[in-house]
Amino acid sequence: MKKIVSLLMAAVISAGLFTGCGAKTNDSITVVSREDGSGTRSAFVELLGIVDADGGDAIVDTAEVSNSTSVVITTVKGNKNAIGYASLGAVTGDVKALKIDGVAATVDNIKNGSYPIARPFNVAYKNGALSELDEDFLAFIMSADGQTIINDKGYISVSEGEPYAPAGLSGKITLAGSTSVAPVMDVLADKYKELNPGVTIEIQQSGSSAGITSAIEGVCAFGMASRELKPDEAAALECVTIAMDGIAVIVNNENGVSDIKSEQIKNIYLGSIKNWSEIG
Amino acid sequence: MSQRIRELLMKLLFLLCACVSVAAVVMICAFIFVNGVPAIAEIGLFKFLGGLRWEPSKEIFGILPMIVGSIYVTAGAVLVGVPVGILTAVFLVKYCPDKLYRLIKPAIELLAGIPSIVYGFFGLVVIVPLVQRLGGGSGKGILSASLMLGIMILPTIINTTEAALRAVPENFYEGSLALGATKERSIFRVVLPAANSGVLAGIILGVGRAIGETMAVVMVAGNQTVIPSSVFGGVRTLTANIVLEMSYAAGLHRGALIGTAVVLFVFILIINLCFSAVKRRGDK
Repeated sequence: MKKIVSLLMAAVISAGLFTGCGAKTNDSITVVSREDGSGTRSAFVELLGIVDADGGDAIVDTAEVSNSTSVVITTVKGNKNAIGYASLGAVTGDVKALKIDGVAATVDNIKNGSYPIARPFNVAYKNGALSELDEDFLAFIMSADGQTIINDKGYISVSEGEPYAPAGLSGKITLAGSTSVAPVMDVLADKYKELNPGVTIEIQQSGSSAGITSAIEGVCAFGMASRELKPDEAAALECVTIAMDGIAVIVNNENGVSDIKSEQIKNIYLGSIKNWSEIG
Repeated sequence: MSQRIRELLMKLLFLLCACVSVAAVVMICAFIFVNGVPAIAEIGLFKFLGGLRWEPSKEIFGILPMIVGSIYVTAGAVLVGVPVGILTAVFLVKYCPDKLYRLIKPAIELLAGIPSIVYGFFGLVVIVPLVQRLGGGSGKGILSASLMLGIMILPTIINTTEAALRAVPENFYEGSLALGATKERSIFRVVLPAANSGVLAGIILGVGRAIGETMAVVMVAGNQTVIPSSVFGGVRTLTANIVLEMSYAAGLHRGALIGTAVVLFVFILIINLCFSAVKRRGDK
């Protein structure tokens, strides 16, 4: 009896080892993606056209799914065959941001429009529904002070603006929407509260679509979206782009590739390119 | 008289406290079944449980890969955690010198107290690169998740097994020694079988912990919605499926995620039933 058990064990262990050897191909690409519904993922899919015939998200189902930017970066940092994408503001020296079609992922290239994967950070509001305080907050975001904060957080400012002078208002401002916009909005709100002590600001992170819906329904003053507004949304709301965010395509620092075509990224994420050797 | 009223009042207070946990369970059950069952019905039970594809954007909701994923990962955790756990408990009870015991026991207690997100990060930066070197590929998958969960369920298994071993009357062990058996033979053929039901209960509790674990698994399992072909392949567990997508989901997608919770709930229910069955057998 014991012998049979130990024989079985040995068989299982060696089978496991052999499977291990089988999986050991040195340059197969580990595709890292974000979860379905993430604003970064939908912007990435939309901008690169990673869609099927019906226009739906077609990222290959063998792609690893991480639920945060930092896990994507840690994964790529630890795996020399991995490719992933993340907000440019979050990318550190631990990983390498690829040039796309020969254009480096830099703030300047996003500003002049030559870097292809960039998305707007928008706030949307109902025309005429803003209070004096809401308008002052928006003016602060677009002012030199607000845009400096946006630059400091690693996003791309969109206006030069005048310096902001506190108007000394008080009251409550509510915002809801994108989880990508919220971190920078938090910092903007803190600074604004510091300048206007009588103000409270409530920021709900509910995702772009939910935020826009709230703004249309009048539940909040501003909806935050990390994508362009859809036509029916744009018809109901005024929209202001407060910043741009580049999406960097990242690989391990040891990866020899440093320039990639957007078509190749698309094919990697569609699953038709499987090995790094296919990328020259 | 006032004494009696006071006693009555306190009794009611205690009863109320006892009701809190029961009420919580009932409310949770009601919530997930009320929200989840209609969604499952809309998708179709067979399509939901047996479907191989999970594509929320196209309204395709099949959770078979996640069910298989949960089972694989949990089985792996048991393979890793149970032998180590039981042997550790045997060591603690029968071999460990007192001084060492005072070192090992708190270490195990501490292991139980580490938050799961910390385990996850440990898995991501330590276990995943190791597995990657061993098997190639990305390193995220069944093996990484199993190793990590195996460590996570150790305290549960060690503590229950230790308690069960200590509950075996000393004369079993001494009697076996007196009959000429070696120490090892006495432990593994007499004491351990006598503690059988306690050990089994510990394993079941460990399984419960492993299948319900979320944050740590999300970070190391890869989360692909496919049935893996090797132990290095990535999997998505039922819990990971819920936590990954809940914050964005609306409509039927949300319902399908709560439906996933229903399936998980049924799994946990089965595990708990096994646990009480084993315990009852042990008590006889």
